[in-house]
Amino acid sequence: MNGSDALQTDVSRLEKPALIVGLLALVISVGGGLHSPVQFFRSYLRGYVFWLGVALGCAAVLMLHHLVGGRWGFVIRRLLESGTRTLLVMAAFTVPFLLGLRFLYAWADPVRAHAETAIEDKALYLNVPFFIGRTIVYFAAWMLLAHFLNKWSLEQDRTANPALTRRLQNLSGPGLVIYGLTVTFASVDWVMSLEPSWFSTIYGMIFMVTQALSAMSLVIVITLLLSKTEPLREMVTPPALNDLGNLLLTFTMLWAYLSFSQFLLIWSGNLPDEITWYTARATGGWAWIAVLLIVFHFAVPFLLLLSRFVKRRIRLLSAVAAGLVVMSLLDMFWLLAPAYDRAGPRFHWLDWTAVIGMGGVWFWRFIAQLKRAALVPLHDPRMARGAGHHG
Amino acid sequence: MEKSPNQITEDLLRPLLRTSPKYYFAVALLAAVVVVAFAAFGYQAYSGLGVSGLRRPVFWGFYITNFVFWIGISHAGTLISAILRLANATWRRPVTRCAEVITVFALSIGAMFPVIHLGRPWLAFWLIPYPSERQIWPNFRSPLVWDFFAINTYLIGSVAFLTLPILPDWALVRDKASGWRKRVYGFLSLGWRGTPRQWSRLESAMHIMAIVIIPVAVSVHTIVSWDFAMAPVPMWHSTIFGPYFVAGAIFSGIAALILAMACLRKFLHLEDYLKPLHFDNLGKLLLMMSLLWFYFVFAERLTTWYGNEPSEMAVFWTTQQGAYAPLFWTMVFCNFLLPFPILAIKRLRTITGTVIASTAVVAGMWLERFLIIVPSLSHKFLPYNWGTYRPTWVEITIMVGTFAGMALLYALFAKAVPIISIWELKLGLHEKSEVRSQETEGRGKLAFGGQEKLET
Repeated sequence: MNGSDALQTDVSRLEKPALIVGLLALVISVGGGLHSPVQFFRSYLRGYVFWLGVALGCAAVLMLHHLVGGRWGFVIRRLLESGTRTLLVMAAFTVPFLLGLRFLYAWADPVRAHAETAIEDKALYLNVPFFIGRTIVYFAAWMLLAHFLNKWSLEQDRTANPALTRRLQNLSGPGLVIYGLTVTFASVDWVMSLEPSWFSTIYGMIFMVTQALSAMSLVIVITLLLSKTEPLREMVTPPALNDLGNLLLTFTMLWAYLSFSQFLLIWSGNLPDEITWYTARATGGWAWIAVLLIVFHFAVPFLLLLSRFVKRRIRLLSAVAAGLVVMSLLDMFWLLAPAYDRAGPRFHWLDWTAVIGMGGVWFWRFIAQLKRAALVPLHDPRMARGAGHHG
Repeated sequence: MEKSPNQITEDLLRPLLRTSPKYYFAVALLAAVVVVAFAAFGYQAYSGLGVSGLRRPVFWGFYITNFVFWIGISHAGTLISAILRLANATWRRPVTRCAEVITVFALSIGAMFPVIHLGRPWLAFWLIPYPSERQIWPNFRSPLVWDFFAINTYLIGSVAFLTLPILPDWALVRDKASGWRKRVYGFLSLGWRGTPRQWSRLESAMHIMAIVIIPVAVSVHTIVSWDFAMAPVPMWHSTIFGPYFVAGAIFSGIAALILAMACLRKFLHLEDYLKPLHFDNLGKLLLMMSLLWFYFVFAERLTTWYGNEPSEMAVFWTTQQGAYAPLFWTMVFCNFLLPFPILAIKRLRTITGTVIASTAVVAGMWLERFLIIVPSLSHKFLPYNWGTYRPTWVEITIMVGTFAGMALLYALFAKAVPIISIWELKLGLHEKSEVRSQETEGRGKLAFGGQEKLET
């Protein structure tokens, strides 16, 4: 039961097209960027934060699985592992981002940085060399985690050594702590500092949940595509799907809880430094996007995922998940874009090419990694315990 | 060595049917402390809040600290028990009831503090929105009113969640006892006869309660946190407060549960039921919460420092290196530096180890509540309005009284109700033997993916 044969049928056919589409879109982006570099970098940041979020979300859910076990994890573990391997291409995508800092952040622009007191006060933290240094530290930490999570898992496939499960577990505890701390820092650096006078203590958590949610949704959609191939066909059972659906429901509820906490406190405080963040996101057409997010990022998936009927059917569940992927993308747009476009949402064509371009390369890397190994972990003792008939 | 069902009944009903003189002595001692605390409260009600240490600018002191602390402790029970039930963790069986009781009593004690804190406690009923003839309603935008509803919902839900699975045990006491006990427990067991229909209803009721109570519990401490976060006070007006308080509540709750279990184990000789395994598992949960707590403190401090608001930085530095720094670093020591190694190293995660860690955590979490409340109030915006706070003997007495009150209520409860759910233990034994017999037949009941996969 080698995963690569089974993969040939469906997903692996997408490997080359994904790369071609991705590169093509990136080339078009760069072409547009020569024309208007400011818009290029803004669109670039949106795609970058989204796809990096998916990769990091995969790492977080994977470590959660190692820590608590559960049958849902064995179904999607290889997908999550491949997702973490895309951190390599995301690291490559970081280079253009770092080159364009002064187009993106007021604090990185030498003229504006001295004009605004809010930025001067934060100069100790918000300055270009320190920013680049932090980014390198984040990626080093993430890629180190991803490396060992993949290495030991694959090693277990070959050697069937049960001690590796323990080792993965021991890595995942501290790993989640490292993930939490770095993502908190990174969310402040990359997104919160777009509006340097605004801050919110819950922001890092909202980011983590968004990442986990988008990763989980995407992985469920991919599970549908793979569910006809051999090793997965047996494992994608209604109870396993039910677990995946419950996890998705949990993340959806958590997202709503954290977002509402932030909104209520800032709305009730109504302080000039804080409320402007929401007024920028609730005026013009942005209000409609906010309503869309409340309805389709929370209310509708929440109600649908309460039902066992939906959760136990792969097609229905992945339809909900696909909707959540789209909404996560819109959410990211709503978080980032109003920092510049105060008048209302403006979907520039460079926004599309950036997301599609990075997404295409992301998928190429993802599929290539997926083909490396069996689609399900082979010798995890916890899985053998759960799945007596496989042994 | 496994106990037989009869042995279990015998062991767990013993505290209900026989009472030692030591028990009477302990109860009398605790009751005396509680009486003194009530007297202190009476003195305060008679003379006014001036006898407490509450002065401008610090109007929230020990009382509100204790309020948040006890409401936090109350998250031990219901929440942990509901999560363990839903996750179907088999080790939970001897633990759930000890936990659920903590919720009910800690919540009742915590809910008393806002009333103790009132200048005219007899007017507390003004919080209730009733159609008075003056047409005055409470301010529905105030989180204090939300507190009233949330805490009462949680209290009612927790009492139901605790009582439902007690019914079969009370029926058992009724069947085993004689005399007045038979009549009292017969009344309490509400006609439980153990018919299949009753069992199936109990099971679905427990399942629904377990699902419903989780959002209720989360909402309670979120709303308690909004009592602070909705006020524009430096370091209170912080968006992370909701989940931060909930995580802290669960953290202190698990610690309280470990301490309660250790006491029960020692005083009621339940060594065969509350085993090292339970302390080990709860220790792991406590470890996880300790890390999460550390994250919250870190995220809050980092973002505040990054935000760099002058009024917030005044509070920030007074806790970090000013007058409150000794308390702050003690808190970090108690909540993270001490428990982390004890709980992370498997060899140290013994009963003694977890008890030491839990004691530290309970103290540390109390300090945390104090450090959230007092430094912010004593360093509010304008320096001319800065001040300090010192509790008086009245506040300290009332606080000590609530700890004694908790122990007293727990002791009385353990006398009236089997503190470990007897029928759930027996059910566990039964299920275990069923699995064993099935394994010998070669068809594991725990097959991956459930029953559907058995044919492959």
